[in-house]
Amino acid sequence: MSDKKLRVVHYLNQFYGGIGGEDKADVPPSEREGVVGPGMALKAALGNNGEVVATVICGDSYFNENIDEASKAVIEMISKHNPDVVVAGPAFNAGRYGVACGAVAKAISDELGIPVVSGMYPENPGVDMYRKFAYVVETGNSAADMRKAIPQIAKLVVKLGRGEEMGTPAEEGYMERGVRKNVFHDERGSKRAVDMLVKKLAGEQFTTEYPMPVFDRVTPNPAVADVSKIKIALVTSGGIVPDKNPDRIESSSASKYGKYDISGVNDLTDDTFETAHGGYDPVYANLDADRVLPVDVLREMEQQGKIGELHRYYYATVGNGTSVANAAKFAKAIAAELVADGVQAVILTST
Amino acid sequence: MDLENQRRIKELAEKHGAENLVVVLGGAEAEAAGLAAETVTAGDPTYAGPLAGVQLGLGVYHIFELKDKVDEAVYEEQVSMMEMVLDVDAIIQEVSSIREQYSQFKD
Repeated sequence: MSDKKLRVVHYLNQFYGGIGGEDKADVPPSEREGVVGPGMALKAALGNNGEVVATVICGDSYFNENIDEASKAVIEMISKHNPDVVVAGPAFNAGRYGVACGAVAKAISDELGIPVVSGMYPENPGVDMYRKFAYVVETGNSAADMRKAIPQIAKLVVKLGRGEEMGTPAEEGYMERGVRKNVFHDERGSKRAVDMLVKKLAGEQFTTEYPMPVFDRVTPNPAVADVSKIKIALVTSGGIVPDKNPDRIESSSASKYGKYDISGVNDLTDDTFETAHGGYDPVYANLDADRVLPVDVLREMEQQGKIGELHRYYYATVGNGTSVANAAKFAKAIAAELVADGVQAVILTST
Repeated sequence: MDLENQRRIKELAEKHGAENLVVVLGGAEAEAAGLAAETVTAGDPTYAGPLAGVQLGLGVYHIFELKDKVDEAVYEEQVSMMEMVLDVDAIIQEVSSIREQYSQFKD
């Protein structure tokens, strides 16, 4: 528990690193001495407790498309400064930036064992993917929340850097990391459970000691009695798109979906269709996209009269890192069109 | 505030002097107008742009605050429509509060 000035290295994307916006998202990792952009606020919040000795910057697209190489390069740049703590972000609701911050955190904790602090909006896909590897402060969904986020981050940096005991997520303001810790309690479990039950029955507030994960359960519709009479549509999160991905659907954290006409198409070939998905080995989907979106089989079934009709359009997005909120938004829009087009059943394929 | 506008304002302040520059905002919403006002006075609160850590302290007003100083016919044509639909009080409150705190040129 010394009170030396902590050494902090800061990871930023190209935007906060002052290199540029989306057009510069493909820049490879680079480093600067001292602070850049939000590092100024971090420096002020750390005061005499710590110093931002270096800043490592990498483009979001570059990082996400070259995740192994980019992690390696970033780790090398960070490790040579011997930081006590690494700060990544905050990324707010920027999906690829959040994923990059998370991947940096994972690599740092795996290889260097140095604590990492970040900040994200709870729906950022980086939270779910990497929450174990960093203390992620909960932020608002845009950079307008920087002013509030940075002091929170600085507080955790000092705690971790000084090896002080870290409190629970609720006490310290970071998001749950899925870590369980044994503690001695004044009262035995059975009494605490009964106390909670009594409070629950009385309609009073209580805090569970074992929160259940929240799953979005979708109740299946009743089975279709006779599929030989109905129009069936294909919808996929496997990223199957016409050649050259005309709508530029992102390879991860998709912000949109595409609607494509397959009238007259009996077979998806490697000349005509491909996958835009960046989360699986695309080789086999690119060779024969029917593996993900089974147009060929459905055409056969259509000819044999086993299904009534294959809908003229299929819908596709990329499920890789796409937030549940976005996916639900796409689904609402797609479902409305399908219903309007008289589609009675959907085959949803994933990867 | 977008990065290009931050860069322009920074350059204009360097060229003409911060005391000779007034920023007139047209933001349609209090928070956005407040963030823009903060950017040109205390520095970019998101720390992403050229004005991160740069405290220009410029005079900054929302167009709603300058109604008396603008030609009535022009105001009527350009602004009055939006004045009817936006939350004018909240916008003025936000921008003037930022100006009171951070602007070095208030008149």
